[in-house]
Amino acid sequence: MDFMDNLIGVAPEDVLVHGPKKILLNKYHWHQPNVGIIASYAPTAIDVEDHFGIFRGVDQIEAFAQATIVSCSAYSECIKQQCTFNYLKQTFNPLFVGIGQVNFRGYLQAGDVFISMGLITFYKFRQMTCDGRIYKVPEGLDVDNYFGNYTKEQLLKYDLEDGFTLIAELFDVTGRGIKK
Amino acid sequence: MERQEIITGLIEILRTVRTIDPSKLDNVTEDTDFIADLNTPSTEMINIAAKAEQKFDVEFEDDDIDDLGSKVKDIVDLIIKTKQKI
Repeated sequence: MDFMDNLIGVAPEDVLVHGPKKILLNKYHWHQPNVGIIASYAPTAIDVEDHFGIFRGVDQIEAFAQATIVSCSAYSECIKQQCTFNYLKQTFNPLFVGIGQVNFRGYLQAGDVFISMGLITFYKFRQMTCDGRIYKVPEGLDVDNYFGNYTKEQLLKYDLEDGFTLIAELFDVTGRGIKK
Repeated sequence: MERQEIITGLIEILRTVRTIDPSKLDNVTEDTDFIADLNTPSTEMINIAAKAEQKFDVEFEDDDIDDLGSKVKDIVDLIIKTKQKI
């Protein structure tokens, strides 16, 4: 297998073990292994069904976790084991271990594009912890282009143009890969 | 390295974990269970193992941690086993 430098260009469904109804992640836009990741999702009509048209807070947390701790640890584990994502899916399950604090600052409706920006704060023994934020993306923004030359320093400061809307701040989101 | 010496070092690590009640550390034995007796959150177990690596100058395998039990004697055994590999 050719080992990629990062997750850019990889389809989330290739990385995540989740089935299509449970994947809350559309695309990776920026990824520096050992640093963090930026990935996007847009809630669908099904995601907001029976919840007055609003994407649930708990699903925001799940989307953030899929984009950050699950994706980044899957990547790092594949590199460490020199294995494919498929092999990893067959041998490990991602376990949501815990979250620290979450502050919700806004809400998301069906069709709103949002990004999860995650900073890796701990990774050892297949356990990863991330802090981060969720932002609603300005309508019509080319997200790939916007983050094409983004830097680690910008991520650490959540350096974004004014059109981005802060939706949530998340701390100590922790998950672990456990053997099946 | 004696087992009691390792337990003493582990207690020093546990005193740095803010979620563990320090009063529960006065009577730690090999049979003390991190989860049942000390109410250690599962997230902290990995942090404790990482701190133990530094304190005892060992490097655990990921698989060792997967198989690690929740009692003090389990991590003492692992530290001794890992030191013997060096």
